[in-house]
Amino acid sequence: MSDDIKILVVDDEPVILKSCKRILDAEGYKADSASGGREGIITMEKNAYDFVITDLKMPEVDGLTLIKWLKKSRPDIGVIIITGYPSQETIKDAIELGIIDYVPKPFTPAVLIDVVKRAIEWKKKKVSDEVKKEEEFPPSMIAELDRMIKGYRNKPGSLIPVLQRVQEMVGYLPPIVQKRVSRGLNIPAAEVHSVVSFYSFFTMKPRGDHIIKVCLGTACYVKGIEEVLSKIKKGLHIEVGGITEDKRFSLEAVRCLGACGLAPVLVIDHDTYGAISPKKVTEILDAYQPVTK
Amino acid sequence: MSEQKRINLMVCAGTGCVSAGSLEIKKVIETEINKRGLEKEVGIVLTGCNGLCAGGPVIAVYPEEIFYQKLKPEDIPHLVEEHFLKGRPVQRLMYKMPEKRKAIPVMSEIPFFKYQVLRVLRNKGLIDPEKIEEYIARDGYQGAAKALTEMTSEEIIKVVKDSGIRGRGGAGFPTGLKWEFASKVKSDIKFMLCNGDEGDPGAFMDRSVMEADPHSVIEGMIIGAKAIGANKGYIYVRAEYPLAVRRLQLAIDQAKEAGLLGKNILDSGFDFDLEIYQGAGAFVCGEETALMRSIEGRRGMPRPRPPFPAHKGLWDKPSVLNNVETLAGIPQIILNGAQWFRSLGTEKSPGTKVFALTGAINNVGLVEVPMGIPLRMIIYDIGAGIKGKNRTFKAVQLGGPSGGCIPESLIDTPVDYESILATGAIMGSGGMVVMDNNNCMVGMAKFFLEFTAEESCGKCPPCRIGTKIMLDILTDISEGKGNKEDIETLQDLSHDIIATSLCGLGQTAPNPVLTTIRYFRDEYESHINDRWCKAGVCRDLCSFHIIEQLCTGCGACMMACPSKAIMGEKKKPHKIIQEACIRCRTCYVTCKFNSIKILPAKFEGDPATLVEVPAGAGMRKEGGVE
Repeated sequence: MSDDIKILVVDDEPVILKSCKRILDAEGYKADSASGGREGIITMEKNAYDFVITDLKMPEVDGLTLIKWLKKSRPDIGVIIITGYPSQETIKDAIELGIIDYVPKPFTPAVLIDVVKRAIEWKKKKVSDEVKKEEEFPPSMIAELDRMIKGYRNKPGSLIPVLQRVQEMVGYLPPIVQKRVSRGLNIPAAEVHSVVSFYSFFTMKPRGDHIIKVCLGTACYVKGIEEVLSKIKKGLHIEVGGITEDKRFSLEAVRCLGACGLAPVLVIDHDTYGAISPKKVTEILDAYQPVTK
Repeated sequence: MSEQKRINLMVCAGTGCVSAGSLEIKKVIETEINKRGLEKEVGIVLTGCNGLCAGGPVIAVYPEEIFYQKLKPEDIPHLVEEHFLKGRPVQRLMYKMPEKRKAIPVMSEIPFFKYQVLRVLRNKGLIDPEKIEEYIARDGYQGAAKALTEMTSEEIIKVVKDSGIRGRGGAGFPTGLKWEFASKVKSDIKFMLCNGDEGDPGAFMDRSVMEADPHSVIEGMIIGAKAIGANKGYIYVRAEYPLAVRRLQLAIDQAKEAGLLGKNILDSGFDFDLEIYQGAGAFVCGEETALMRSIEGRRGMPRPRPPFPAHKGLWDKPSVLNNVETLAGIPQIILNGAQWFRSLGTEKSPGTKVFALTGAINNVGLVEVPMGIPLRMIIYDIGAGIKGKNRTFKAVQLGGPSGGCIPESLIDTPVDYESILATGAIMGSGGMVVMDNNNCMVGMAKFFLEFTAEESCGKCPPCRIGTKIMLDILTDISEGKGNKEDIETLQDLSHDIIATSLCGLGQTAPNPVLTTIRYFRDEYESHINDRWCKAGVCRDLCSFHIIEQLCTGCGACMMACPSKAIMGEKKKPHKIIQEACIRCRTCYVTCKFNSIKILPAKFEGDPATLVEVPAGAGMRKEGGVE
């Protein structure tokens, strides 16, 4: 397992290089060393690596320059920094360049191993996430998204309507889609996310084929919606905000559907069901079959 | 209405009736009518919400105004044959008072309709909301025409001020004053906004108005825009109201086509453009500064006032935000004058108010009544009292999560802003949820706190953290972990949150707790001290017992019990096995003889020490039981 992982350590202090190599080799990784930024680049031109662990302060080609080169020429290599001068500024710069983690100097073997392990985990997850996302959104949908978003560019206050349309098209708003919106509207990704996370209408989780919205308004509460809700939860084995294993249903709670005359009420997709009881609800749900794709 | 027909059917297509199947009813009626060749004599109109949602699907037959309710497709052939062909109205399908047999055929004689005065809802159930001609035929856009062509901005404001109309969104700020502030600010860009973000759970007045009479809202906005000098408007509607959004959009398109929106409206030289903005589900966006931020495409968080929106509102331009119901009432005020408006209601709260009457009541629905009528009249006359046998009125909740519970002792309180405020509740936007003896007031307070704790936008720590702490205390109380000091802590926290929150959400969030403590302190105490939730709602604080003397041994509870916790022979008193009981209340609701009593958790001993047990009552005086 771990012998697949190749790591290059870059530092101007031979002692650090030596000890890092010893610690990492003992853990079963394949570690090489380079005594400076320039030598690091040369080594990487020759061999492929999964991770680079580098010092920041080095003569000639320093750590930040090396990271910049890495991001441009070897974007797949994960970067971890070692720094004896954990000044806020340099770390901030390095984080902005996309490092995974950092090891403060001086460090114990345990710390180094720990950081490396975490980095490996993180990279694995990231790769699988990205592969999945690409599969889920065909290029045609992405193109359509971009076209729609473009229509709203330069229109003040268009973020919420755009997100509503995007959610309609994609079904939910994962980070990758939020980034697309951010780029398309020229709004910082943080602001897009702040809006997505604020409004309950937006969801970052995928939804099922059918969406059950259970009204938790006062009238429905007074008339016993809680019992209906617990019946649904038990029947489908999901919690509010969850999605069934077969992706047939997702369950949402809404504040008030404004159909209090029918309390207790639930809405599935676009159908409203009034005066429901725990007994009736099973029957209603059975009528909704998974959508065949 | 286009051509003269012998009979006109008004089929309710409000959300309530549609989900009860009114569209299918309409289809069946059409087929049956065609079968009998009556299509030239009988007209069918799909209307907005009729109001009596409890009876859905409902239709009203004009000109006689005969009202049919709870229609099923299989009833239709008979109805068409008997009434529309032979002229014999069908008694069986008419409205009956609860527990009475006599049918009331004519709509205006049904108490639910009789005591109402329709001003804002004057077109409900009468016009097709998707046709501008029908709105115009009922004096529609005449108020706007008068305002645009005959009146100056000052004159409009004077009429609205003199009418004394107060914002129907809840706080009751005088609308005329709001307009005056904004009209006096000099700016080339101003905004006229409509608040259709009806967030209070248990309220659906605004939805019904937007769905049943969308043009009235648009007309009100045109008048308001002229008064303050705005050329651009937004209607902010919840995304949870898709039908309202669709009908409003249709209405806007029709108004544009008719030259009632856009450039140079009615040749008056006045321009006004209107757009719908869909909210995204945040209760706090009902607050005006938060709503404006949301339109700007940001997080809907309130900001301190001043500057007030009349000076710096949407995109820092002078803006006025009015509630749907307020705006829908404006055209009639312009048309009929301030004195007409004042002819109903009280001195300080003139006019009418629309309420969404829901909960444990017979006639659930939408009602419009003059301000100042007693609550009792709304609940017992219009609402026809509490639904179900053995159920009694306990409280009525006004104002949603910002409001409070009014107990039976205050049921004669007149409905106006000041009197309601004096009880500790608020008028609110008009949600009126009736509770009966099966509702636990601690549970009710907890329900609302769950709501506000989740909907708090997080800006002010007292609201964000305080409501959470209050919720934790209430949860403890409802789970039997309450302390004696809890009631006082809740009150202290409430006052702190009220004093230190920025917007209305935090300032009113503790109201449900304060009013329930004020009027139902004994319930809190019995939860805390006796571990006894007398309504049987808090499952950890109750146990169910069959009183032998009252049990007839009918077996209904045994059949209904989902956990098979009831045993007994037929016609002999049954018994609940406490270990197996999940306290779901099913038996309690099922028993027709009131023989099941709710006692404290893990109660053992003689029930007669706690509840009234009639000696020697019941069917079995001799034999059977030892």
